[in-house]
Amino acid sequence: MNKLAWLMCSALALGCGGRPSSWDTSFTTANSQSGLASAYGLTGSVAVLDTSLGRVAMLSSPSTLALASTAIDLGTDLAAARVSSDRKTLFALSRGVQPQRTAHDEKPQLLLIDGGSTPRFSRSYTLTEPMNQLVLDPKNEWAVVYGSSGVVVNLNELVLVNLARTGAEALSFKTLLSFGGNPTRFTFTAPLAIPGGEPRRFLIVERDSDLVLIDLADPERDAVTVPLPSTDAGGTASSAQVVYDADSASIAVRVTATTSVFMLQLAAPTAAGQDYSVVTNLVDVGGQPAAIDFVHNAQGLRLVALVASSAVLVDPDTATTQSVLMPAPFTGIRRITDELNPAAMPGTDGDVALLYGPNITKIAYFNLSGAPGALFRSIEPYDIGVSVKNVIDVPGETYFDHKILETPNQQFYVLDLHTRESAPMKTNGGLTLEVAPDGERVWAYNPGQPGFASVDFAKLHPVSLIAERAVSSVFDIEGPDGHRTAIALHLATGYNPGFGATVLDALAPSTADARFYSGLELAGVK
Amino acid sequence: MSARFCLSKVLAGALLLVVSSAHAEPLAPHQPYVQASVGVRASKVSDAGYDAFANADDLVQVSLGLGSTLFRQQGFSLAAVGFWDYGQKNSTARGSATSLDVHRLTVGPELRYHLLPPLYFFVHALPAFAHTSASIEDGVAQVTRYARHWSYGLDGAAGAAFEVYGARSGSIRPRLWAIAEGGYGFLGSTPLDMSPDSGQGPQRPASVDLGSLSLAGPYLRVSAAVGF
Repeated sequence: MNKLAWLMCSALALGCGGRPSSWDTSFTTANSQSGLASAYGLTGSVAVLDTSLGRVAMLSSPSTLALASTAIDLGTDLAAARVSSDRKTLFALSRGVQPQRTAHDEKPQLLLIDGGSTPRFSRSYTLTEPMNQLVLDPKNEWAVVYGSSGVVVNLNELVLVNLARTGAEALSFKTLLSFGGNPTRFTFTAPLAIPGGEPRRFLIVERDSDLVLIDLADPERDAVTVPLPSTDAGGTASSAQVVYDADSASIAVRVTATTSVFMLQLAAPTAAGQDYSVVTNLVDVGGQPAAIDFVHNAQGLRLVALVASSAVLVDPDTATTQSVLMPAPFTGIRRITDELNPAAMPGTDGDVALLYGPNITKIAYFNLSGAPGALFRSIEPYDIGVSVKNVIDVPGETYFDHKILETPNQQFYVLDLHTRESAPMKTNGGLTLEVAPDGERVWAYNPGQPGFASVDFAKLHPVSLIAERAVSSVFDIEGPDGHRTAIALHLATGYNPGFGATVLDALAPSTADARFYSGLELAGVK
Repeated sequence: MSARFCLSKVLAGALLLVVSSAHAEPLAPHQPYVQASVGVRASKVSDAGYDAFANADDLVQVSLGLGSTLFRQQGFSLAAVGFWDYGQKNSTARGSATSLDVHRLTVGPELRYHLLPPLYFFVHALPAFAHTSASIEDGVAQVTRYARHWSYGLDGAAGAAFEVYGARSGSIRPRLWAIAEGGYGFLGSTPLDMSPDSGQGPQRPASVDLGSLSLAGPYLRVSAAVGF
């Protein structure tokens, strides 16, 4: 009897031992409903979310036409992912194991991944509660997580993460006093030159019916809550846009359903214990503005409000207004002074702004450097034949004076701000644009189609390419030796799911020598 | 208690009957000139490279064998034996269908010792040659990728064979044997650089690197043999 048992055990021992469960986990990437993108482009790598395994595949190019995949765990239950403004770091916010049952269960965390040509885990911040939302500071000094999902939820609790620090001391927990609103948008300011003190950065939190100013120099101090004015009909208004001017410590708010612009001036403290005071003003601009921004003209700082077919200039100090008729009802404004003259001195040289709109087939240059009497001829229109949905900046040091005008239809324009010449580019499908981080070219593609194209800014010569499989997105990354690689991603869902890529030399793209990679979801499975 | 006692008595009686009849027979007719076997080989493959092709560590193969006695000296004999083992595994790797075909050929000497005419023990060390064909369905490239390689190694095992049916001495009728062996099969590892067949799939496809595969591991083989 004992021998029989031994034989059975021996036989069973041959078959025992399974494989890691990750092999049985099909590849799935993020869907748009989750608020996550399937892939994120960084300077030296592309991050492809592998949500079913709670990890990211970091694709990099160690040499020309070569592609390497490095798997990095993101944490359980990914809630949000963002790329820093310099595209060097991927931030991933995960909820961890919920509910927690043991001390070893993974906690919520904010994880940072270095997205260079050798991608690697950078650091993480452990959170006490699962959060759903992530906002990043354009200057990469702060991150804000909020929107917890516990049994009891404090909608006005923010966790400010000081990215210059590590560990628990990097976290500041901030509950905003509320008049009933929830955070909707965040603006990190540049250092505001408040009279009587050192310049300090602020986090402006827009809520349903008020603004909250958080002093980032000392986030533990009480925040200042400023109620928004009522609508013209006496109802509750909400903010639609916040702009600021750092040198004058001025903030302006475009408020819904009112013809007034709400102005805030951060001034010297007026009472003991204050670091600053807030002076508010309401300026009627004669109509509901579509957009606002601060500019400088020969007289000083002005707030421009685009109201129907007029550009209304508001003096923040006196609240006086001056109106100039626009050749079309532009609804978008973008300052382009620095792009035209990087050495321009704010306050002495007048600004130049680009005016555009999604329902107007014109753009215009708004030159504010002229004398006050010349304001009527300060707007110079150009008929480009298509409307402009969005203005995309070009990074880098070579073509910073170019803008890409994205249209609502299948075209885009490359606009040279200096020559004021625009090059229309027509596509034969939908349009998604990806500007190369080096600012030398733009990639255009239609997700789900095999065609894509590169337009280099030097010659404005489009190179059309047809991949052998449908392209979901295109990225342009830098290799460790400086070579540039274009990665056209292919995602396969359903039966035999996975992802792959067509890899090209970004500087001389050609499908004649491109390499095809697939099975990338299998890298690092263990 | 009495039943156990009776069973022991029956087994002891049967053993005595076998021994007494065995001693009454000459040994040579039980040392087969030629022996052919069919059986099952079950191996345990714990290599990580195997995970992409199997849900568990087992590899079950059908086993065909052929042997011939070359030399006899009383209870000892030396035979040349060879086996061909074939098995297939099918699985999925993260949702993509995978398959692994394994052919294994082993040939070499086997030393036998007949404790009794119908019972012998053996040991063998057999050089092994294996051909593996691993495949994965690539949903992105829409092609099947393969890694086909030869690998070499050595099977070392010990076992026993029992004659379950055999005619009296002098008869040319075949004798049936039940054979069981256990040992360790060593095989070198081969790369799992999965590539589509030439001309298939996209142009200039890079291989999918699944690491390497070694089918080394302990095994059991049970077989039925017919010998002359």
